[in-house]
Amino acid sequence: MIILHRLVRLVIVLLVVTFLSYAMLALLPGDPVTQILGIGANDEARAQLRQELGLDEPLLVRYAGWLGALLTGDFGTSPITRVPVAAELAERLPVTLELLVAAQVVALGLAIPVGIAAARRAGRALDQVLTALSFALLSTPVFVLGVLLILLFAVTWQVVPATGWTPISVDLGWNITSVLLPAVTLGCGQLAVYARLLRADLIATLQEDYITLARARGLSPRRILWRHALRPSAISLITAVGLNMGALIGGTVIIETLFGLPGIGRLIVDSIFSRDYLTVQGGVVLISVGYVLVNFAVDVVYAAVDPRIRRA
Amino acid sequence: MRRRLGLGFWIATGWIALVLAAAVLADVLPFARYDETLAGPPQTGPSAAHPFGTDGLGRDVLSRVVYGARVSLGVGIGAVVLGLAIGAPLGVLAGYRKRAADAVIMAVNDVALAFPALVFALAVVAFAGANLRNVLVVLGVLGVPAWTRLIRGATLSFAEREFVLAARVLGVRDRRILWREIMPNVAVPAASYAFIGMAVVVVAEGSLAFLGLSVQAPTPTWGGLINEGRTLMETAPHVVLAPSVVMFLTVLSFNLVGDRLRALSDVRQSGLEPVRQAVAVLPAAEPRPVAGALLQVEDLRTHFLTPRGAVKAVDGVSFTLERGKTLAIVGESGSGKSMLIRSVLGLLPGTGVARGGHVHLEGDELTAFTPEEMRQVLGRRLGTVFQDPMTALNPVRTIGTQVAEPLRVHLGMGRGQAREEAARLLASVGIPDPARMLGRYPHQLSGGMRQRVTIAMALSCGPDVLFADEPTTALDVTIQDQVLRLIHRLREERDMAVVLVSHDLSVVRQWADEVIVMYAGRVVERGTAADVFERTRMPYTEALLQAAPRLTDPAHHRLRVIPGRPPDLAAVPDGCAFRPRCAYAQDRCAEQAPPLLSEGGHLHACWYPTGRTMTENEGADSHGR
Repeated sequence: MIILHRLVRLVIVLLVVTFLSYAMLALLPGDPVTQILGIGANDEARAQLRQELGLDEPLLVRYAGWLGALLTGDFGTSPITRVPVAAELAERLPVTLELLVAAQVVALGLAIPVGIAAARRAGRALDQVLTALSFALLSTPVFVLGVLLILLFAVTWQVVPATGWTPISVDLGWNITSVLLPAVTLGCGQLAVYARLLRADLIATLQEDYITLARARGLSPRRILWRHALRPSAISLITAVGLNMGALIGGTVIIETLFGLPGIGRLIVDSIFSRDYLTVQGGVVLISVGYVLVNFAVDVVYAAVDPRIRRA
Repeated sequence: MRRRLGLGFWIATGWIALVLAAAVLADVLPFARYDETLAGPPQTGPSAAHPFGTDGLGRDVLSRVVYGARVSLGVGIGAVVLGLAIGAPLGVLAGYRKRAADAVIMAVNDVALAFPALVFALAVVAFAGANLRNVLVVLGVLGVPAWTRLIRGATLSFAEREFVLAARVLGVRDRRILWREIMPNVAVPAASYAFIGMAVVVVAEGSLAFLGLSVQAPTPTWGGLINEGRTLMETAPHVVLAPSVVMFLTVLSFNLVGDRLRALSDVRQSGLEPVRQAVAVLPAAEPRPVAGALLQVEDLRTHFLTPRGAVKAVDGVSFTLERGKTLAIVGESGSGKSMLIRSVLGLLPGTGVARGGHVHLEGDELTAFTPEEMRQVLGRRLGTVFQDPMTALNPVRTIGTQVAEPLRVHLGMGRGQAREEAARLLASVGIPDPARMLGRYPHQLSGGMRQRVTIAMALSCGPDVLFADEPTTALDVTIQDQVLRLIHRLREERDMAVVLVSHDLSVVRQWADEVIVMYAGRVVERGTAADVFERTRMPYTEALLQAAPRLTDPAHHRLRVIPGRPPDLAAVPDGCAFRPRCAYAQDRCAEQAPPLLSEGGHLHACWYPTGRTMTENEGADSHGR
């Protein structure tokens, strides 16, 4: 029942998101064909694009046709680069995905120990230092952090390259080196969010009767923390991991530009400046749909962690 | 006010005011204009003439940062005002009107929140053109869902409050209620979020500007300055550092101010927060072990150290308990019963507590044990059952895992053996089909069944003493009796001792061998059940007995209650703590606290004990107001 409800909502959100992405072309001032092809295009190309975009038909009909093509993987062909948008996106996607996963790994890998350390000593010096640090990190825009990290690690100490990308298929070691700094930059903002959440939830869980009773049964603090307290406390964290994919995806656009990574975000920004609007549109659709699907997956995982929701 | 907001708040406010003033007064400040090239030699570091140095074209970096603040703060304030202007009416409408309006607004909101905001802002600005108006409108509109949600939540919590309901019942017009009653209360959370929203917008505008998609050159923006500066990172790092630091401090300040304002409206943060302090040890009488006693508690004290002073939750309690007996502890809520149990078990928070006294279990002094040694006693020799079975079991672990855990940890059983033993334990507490029960989660069980599970867990390692803290209070009357009978039967089967905390005197009368009556953290009467119930000496005990309804009471009999309230444990009055509520109090009671005196094994702490023998039919009609 709940799954059905969520599926319906998923479909609605997907329709709205794709429609808005499509309708963005309408924001272009003047004739979209002129905007897309530039003033110097010949009449033949103009007529062909006009037909491709179906500009003579009503918006909803055009949208339906575009959506149908989208479902078959046809994102159109860029009039600027003459490359199918889908092929371009497919080539860039692995870079962005690797960056996202690496950033989440960095964020969670650091946030869990930090959150636990702070919660175990709530109110003490270590907790106050960690809380202040994460508050500061939370207030650092990702490009400011990126610039500072490049300044320190790439310019001053020269331990990692400032920019550039080596695919996994070429060299694993260099791939990790090239993703390290971008992932740390992108993950740090989330690290603060996750650590604060986990700390607050753990502190609340540790006040629960069942934790006091676990102590009354003579269980060690370590066992209570890992076996009893962590899982009930992880529920908001899992939700946040999903919801923050949005912030992370927004961040990838900046990170990829800052570090010169050939991902979707960089493609979108480059395409904006080369006035390659179909590619921009394709990138936005891909990111939005991915984001909505991740949130849906989070809902499902959420139910798996909390049996009260699963069986309710 | 100043003290509660903290120094950080005022420093942050000062920084915001400084940046704002500089942005407004940029044209009259004594530095070169942002676009004046060769105002100084290019790429020179900070100097008196150029406090932030100069950039690659010799432009004054300070000037560029200050002019950049105009865009950042302008967009920040504009977008927040726009978001508030659209979001607040929607939120108030959804929260106050509810029903259809709420459903529609929140459904749209849910969909809106499912968007990756920055990517959408990017795309809209890319298509519609990068200029101040477009950036401001996009960021403002993207803030609307969050504003709607916040205002709706705040409205909802106040629309249900008594004063608003009262106004509605009195026929006050909705518009008037909204302006007079709800708006002032929604203002603080809204102000708090305005600052946090400002931080969000400044970062978002900075991100767009960094990508070259905000206000276009030559107008400087913070994001744009950072983007330009990074090409000079190796030769002139100050060009990128200056706007970075200013932006960081500004965002931090907005967040800090918003956070402090939120804390201000958060009622949970006021009041009794324990102050940080290591465990202190209170002086106590020398231990005098009693031969033959299973559990001996002597002069036990637990004081919570709070900003208001020491809260004396347990203040010098002594008792002994023999094997095979049931000791009942009775008293009103807040009299220190549960704290006494937790103090005996050593289950106190690590900070903000002072403790004293001794606990002996068959000659071992538990109060001298290290935490590691204590863990060998807890669960193995001392079992515990709490009041509410709904919160006593971990919601995300199966019954089987939870019951088997002490067996595996304390008795070293393997997985299979522990599961078999767990099933046997569940059967012994009367749970049908125990093998199937092992795979279930707590929320699938009734309250009575859960309490049986917690009893099975407490008994799993064969403890010598079972502590039952109001084990039946949260249960149905019919289930209560079953659970008490179960505890009684298990006590006899296993030759345990039971410490039963209860405020239900009929339960105590039926099952207890000895009774302790507690008031304000102290023992005020102690004796056999017969002593306490039939030869009551302490006026407080008498009042408790009168306050308990009995089946023998005539119909429409007026139930007596104890007048007044239990004392504030941080400020217990001088003399007898019960004096303000006592019908027999005299001058002496206010001057000297009565000691706990023994009268043939029956202890009581009263200068003027009730000498009467109380019986069932007479009790209700004795002294009263």
